[in-house]
Amino acid sequence: MAKKAAPAKGKAKAAKAGGGGVNKVAVLMVLAALVPFSLPTVALLFFTMLPTMGAWASERGPHKYAWLCVGGLNFSGVIPFLFSLWFGVHTLDESFSMLSEAGVLLWAYGTSAIGWLVYTVMPPVVASWISFTTDRRVAALKAAQKKLVEEWGDEVTKKGA
Amino acid sequence: MSETAEQADSGKPAVPSAPGVLRDRYTVRSNQPLPEFATPNAEAFVAEDKRDPNRNLFALICRPDLQPRVNIMRALKGATTMGFVPLVDWGTMLWPPLGRQCMTVIYERPVGKKLMANLRADFKRIDEYEINRRVIEPMVAAIKELTARGITHRAIRPTNMWYMDEGGERISLGDCVTTPPAFDQPVAFESVESGMANPVARGSGTFSDDLYSLGVTVVFLLMGRNPVAHLDEDQLLKQKIQQGSYNTLVGDERLPLPLIELLRGLLCDDPDQRWDIESLDLWLSGRRLSPLQSRLERRAARGFPFNGREYGNCRELAQAMAKNWELAIPPVLEGKLELWLRRAVEDAERAQVIAEQVRMALNSGNDKRAGIDLMLCKVLIILDPTAPIRYKGFNAMPDGFGSALAAVMAQKGDSRLMAEIILRGVPSLWFEARKSYLPDNSLMEGNFRELKGYLTQTGMGFGLERCLYEMNDSLPCQSPLLGEEYVVELKEMLPALNAAAGKRSDAKTWPVDRHVAAFMGARARSDIDRNLVQLTDPEPSKALMAMLNLFAVFQYRLGPESLPTLAAWVGGLVGPVVGAFHSREKRKELEKEIPKIIRRGSIVELYNLLDNEEAHSKDKHEFAWAQAQYHAADEEVKRIQTESEDRGTEAVRIGQQTAAVLGILIALITTTFVVIAKVW
Repeated sequence: MAKKAAPAKGKAKAAKAGGGGVNKVAVLMVLAALVPFSLPTVALLFFTMLPTMGAWASERGPHKYAWLCVGGLNFSGVIPFLFSLWFGVHTLDESFSMLSEAGVLLWAYGTSAIGWLVYTVMPPVVASWISFTTDRRVAALKAAQKKLVEEWGDEVTKKGA
Repeated sequence: MSETAEQADSGKPAVPSAPGVLRDRYTVRSNQPLPEFATPNAEAFVAEDKRDPNRNLFALICRPDLQPRVNIMRALKGATTMGFVPLVDWGTMLWPPLGRQCMTVIYERPVGKKLMANLRADFKRIDEYEINRRVIEPMVAAIKELTARGITHRAIRPTNMWYMDEGGERISLGDCVTTPPAFDQPVAFESVESGMANPVARGSGTFSDDLYSLGVTVVFLLMGRNPVAHLDEDQLLKQKIQQGSYNTLVGDERLPLPLIELLRGLLCDDPDQRWDIESLDLWLSGRRLSPLQSRLERRAARGFPFNGREYGNCRELAQAMAKNWELAIPPVLEGKLELWLRRAVEDAERAQVIAEQVRMALNSGNDKRAGIDLMLCKVLIILDPTAPIRYKGFNAMPDGFGSALAAVMAQKGDSRLMAEIILRGVPSLWFEARKSYLPDNSLMEGNFRELKGYLTQTGMGFGLERCLYEMNDSLPCQSPLLGEEYVVELKEMLPALNAAAGKRSDAKTWPVDRHVAAFMGARARSDIDRNLVQLTDPEPSKALMAMLNLFAVFQYRLGPESLPTLAAWVGGLVGPVVGAFHSREKRKELEKEIPKIIRRGSIVELYNLLDNEEAHSKDKHEFAWAQAQYHAADEEVKRIQTESEDRGTEAVRIGQQTAAVLGILIALITTTFVVIAKVW
């Protein structure tokens, strides 16, 4: 029985892994198929979103939040140029022409730098806020305890029967 | 206010020669003694009635260590019946020579003298022609009067009889209330059984005892002297046992036949055969009965050797053994007594019962000595069933046990023997040996069983003190807390404590001690034993509330309305009760209210204030809630303090998440703006 159950489990795992792989392959194939039609957009995004990719690649651990923060700001710096490309001349030349402009990359990389800044500053700010609120809570609790002792005497500090 | 009362109020010590004043009416002159009116245990003094200065009165001052017969005082006060020296009034009074309250009895002063100045004095005899009219008829009427009131005199003797007129025609009985029943009676005037008992423990007895005393008195009066003056009390008792009372007192004296008949009837040693009032009435009306022949106990074929002497009958032997308790044990245990009963007395039945008792005593379990003592007590009862309860040298009639205990405790004597008698159920041995059923005996036996129950409880309100007050209805409370106050009734207790409260030296002393608690337990009409048990509760607040409850109930029922000093005393002790409230606010509220109530002198209000069950319950619940709140806060503070490291990690995670969300939001907003800008 055990021998029969083990291969069945292996098969299920393989099927699951195989299903995920198929999806990824399908998505990549669709994207690859779209590349010839939107190559200018891909080129612009690839070069302007390099800090986001760097953030994604450099972050370790189960939770990856840096690329979301950096990427969000990075994208907000890129999106006006992307719209100019889409609503203007949507060609690879135009895309490279934009990339060759210092302002475009400055915007893209500048906003991503702001993203990094936000990502770096936010944890200490939150820690300070949490510390502030817990200190206030402790003080409030101690004041309440003092009031109870004043009202009921020291016996109130003993564990009730 | 009287001068004595003024002295007492001013707190100055009473002057020994100052007069005592009873009920603000009778002045008793302590510097004018009247030795001729004194009794063996009560001094007599000149008394004056403020309302009627012409009245010739005298006062008898009772000994504080002897219990007076208050019930008899109540019955005789104001009685105008012929045959008694009129008892005018009675009550407690501050008696300057002793500096304390003493029971005082006021009598009208007889015009004539005592029939007999003392028991050794000769006096003019009353001849057989006059004795009926002058002595027997008025005395029988007096005893009838007493019997109708359900009381006995127990002090009928020529030294306590007075001529109430100059001519010596009218004779009256003197005092019988200043001491326990028959306490002053010489053995000559007491029946054999009563004579065997300790004087203080003779008990009230029955009219039959009074008739016996009357018989002896008649013998004395007929002879004009004491016919047994040459005998001491022990010899007299022994002779009465051996020869019978009639033969001992009358002897070979020649008396008229009708009087022989009377005296044989009155001096009969068998109480069941002794003449009663009906027999006397018949005799007085002229009907002559055949004289009773004294039936003396059959003498044994040979005497029983005991303590260097030989005893010829059971009663005599039992009396000797009762007097030599320790010496009596070996011959009984060795079976000599049984053998003597079988062979010399030829009473196999009694011998068998005694043998059984000895066997049981020898096989008794843990306390062999107690078993042997009880065995000897029972053996003595078997030998002489009519004798008093005799145990280790203490001899008492069952109804005299109370006054004996009162005397022992008042004299601060050793009361252990009395306690032992009650605890070991000695009286029940005596009651079991009664041949015929008497309701009074059943009642007394039940009372002794109840006393045993009280004695087995050691707390305040029980023990020997409780037995003392249960057995003596009119005994004043013996508590030292009351000082010189004389408290006989429960309604007098709180005012007395109120008066004593001002003189107390230690503020922490409770106004209740063993005597006060026992007195309240015995005198209260309702059952307050549960409250008394709580008086010794280990939790001070509960014990104090029990005391307050008792005082409050008595103040509510019996008054008076205001007892400020006692309230202050009690109020000073309620700290633990106030402290039993957890709430500081409630405590402050009580501490503010208590002094107001104390000023009003109401223990009832004080009790109601402190015994608020709703407030206690509320306080308890709120305190429990406060405790829970305190500990919850404590737990939370501890948790906050111990989780600081985790909180750093958490802060980083939240910060990163926030940054991520912020980045996405900015991207979305920017995209939205750009789209709007391009579309419009």
